[in-house]
Amino acid sequence: MAEGEQSPRRLMVIGIIGALIGMYLARYLNLWTGTAWFSFFAGLGAICAVYYGADAVRRVASYGLGTGVPSIAMLSFGAGQVAVLLGLAVAKNYSIWFAGPVIALILAAIIGLVNGVMARRVIKMNIHIMEMSMTEIAMAASLVILGLSTVIAGSFTFNAIMSYVVASGFIIAVFIVGAMAMFHPFNACLGPDERQKRTLNLALSTGFIAMLVAGIASGAINGVQAAVPTLIIAIFGWIIYYLRFFADTKQDAAAMLSTGLIPAEEEVA
Amino acid sequence: MDPQMMVELGALTLVGGAALIAGVAEDLESDVGSQSNPNSQVQLAPQMGYLHRLYNKAISGEPASYPFYAAIGAATALSVLSVTGNNSLIGVFFALVAGAFVTALIHGVYATTSYMGRLASQSRFGQPIYMDVLRTHTPVLMAHGFVANFSVLLLTWVLIAQHLSPFPFVVLAFIWGIALGGVGSAVGDVHLGTDRYYQDRPYGSGVNAAHSGSVVRKAESGLRNSIDCAWFCSKFGGPLTGLGFGLVVYLHFWKEVVVKDWWSAVAGIIIVMIFVIMNTYLERYSRQRYGTYKEETEAE
Repeated sequence: MAEGEQSPRRLMVIGIIGALIGMYLARYLNLWTGTAWFSFFAGLGAICAVYYGADAVRRVASYGLGTGVPSIAMLSFGAGQVAVLLGLAVAKNYSIWFAGPVIALILAAIIGLVNGVMARRVIKMNIHIMEMSMTEIAMAASLVILGLSTVIAGSFTFNAIMSYVVASGFIIAVFIVGAMAMFHPFNACLGPDERQKRTLNLALSTGFIAMLVAGIASGAINGVQAAVPTLIIAIFGWIIYYLRFFADTKQDAAAMLSTGLIPAEEEVA
Repeated sequence: MDPQMMVELGALTLVGGAALIAGVAEDLESDVGSQSNPNSQVQLAPQMGYLHRLYNKAISGEPASYPFYAAIGAATALSVLSVTGNNSLIGVFFALVAGAFVTALIHGVYATTSYMGRLASQSRFGQPIYMDVLRTHTPVLMAHGFVANFSVLLLTWVLIAQHLSPFPFVVLAFIWGIALGGVGSAVGDVHLGTDRYYQDRPYGSGVNAAHSGSVVRKAESGLRNSIDCAWFCSKFGGPLTGLGFGLVVYLHFWKEVVVKDWWSAVAGIIIVMIFVIMNTYLERYSRQRYGTYKEETEAE
């Protein structure tokens, strides 16, 4: 960990606690008011999980995964997807609705751990943080999927998610948009001079894009109530973090030229 | 011929045409961004000391980025359809255009972040970020992406409206996105990577590891940019990709519509066998004609 970077533990707390708070706020404020105005809280929660997951991807992928960056995220989102549906079904079965996201999170951790053990012990990938990273990415993935699904459905009960998100097909958009938001930051900033702050600012910006897409989809389910606040917050958030990423890029790049020829070799040195 | 089959054959023609256009636009879009396979060479170039003015867009590979665009487009279209209703043709058309438009915007944003991000992470090799490259290439990417995604959404919509698929709209668009990205990656990349970036290498030599990153950086006049690559690939690579994806879609639904039921699976196997035999003969013919792959003998 270089100086001035955020520690993995701090990011884990931000990601998990933030995502859970967002989802519960969205669910219970919607329930108490009988509207869907508060769905956007779940989107903000999903962004916390994207922030955390992007750093986990960054840590494991900096061992030279290269083209494996998208693969590891897709694998983990598959694990997260299974964990979410199973977790919510378990919560439904035992009539403990409120515990759905937590059960999903624990199941995701277990599936992720199994994936990690398989990758390191069976396939013999020699990366010593593999188990931990796979667990973390799967946990973040389950929170992203559940958060974005909650934005669309306005609730995280099994029935709501199944009928509004899975049956309508939006689940696949949630899957790919969430996965892209999480692995794209490191995939885009791959290179020897990658820096955590820039990558994570990009993660926030892609997270707001994921929230934007979930907001658009929520319009089909809950209409204006869910869509308008989500879209406004997503667009403003995206602008802020895209500009921050741009400023970081300007600071880190060798040069940012409006135009010009290829520099001669002696100029580069 | 029964009227239902007439309608389905008409839909089939539309779907095949849309797939052809999608394939062409997809390949040219990925060529402008030097995405997928050739991307690693463009990315490697500054590290090997070859600074360039090419666009470098790594939004994953094409088989992952196209389902991403298609799913966003389909989700947006579905949301707009919940307002306009899917009874009027103009409402459906508007929804599909809205879906492709939102996709194009998000595509553009992702493209700029990967161009800037990758080059900023290679600052120690002295590769500058050219804002004019960003400004001129990104709209071209977005426009080609718009055409490709609109075509994918259109063909998905026709299949859903004709009850030719059991999947929901978004899931089907996603699956066609994977197919389109896969075909674009498999068919189109060949003509971008080896034909355009290594024009100075003899036919059939492949790319020696020593030449990694040694991409062509100078054009017929001035410096090479990635829009030149789209111009080059629009002559052969792009149409070939269109043909590839068009055939995949057309033949698949042709056997569903004309042969029907379980026999369509048999027809599918026969079609695949015919292609295998054709390809075997083609490869044998070209190897006999042009010889085996030669080692590079020139001194470096």
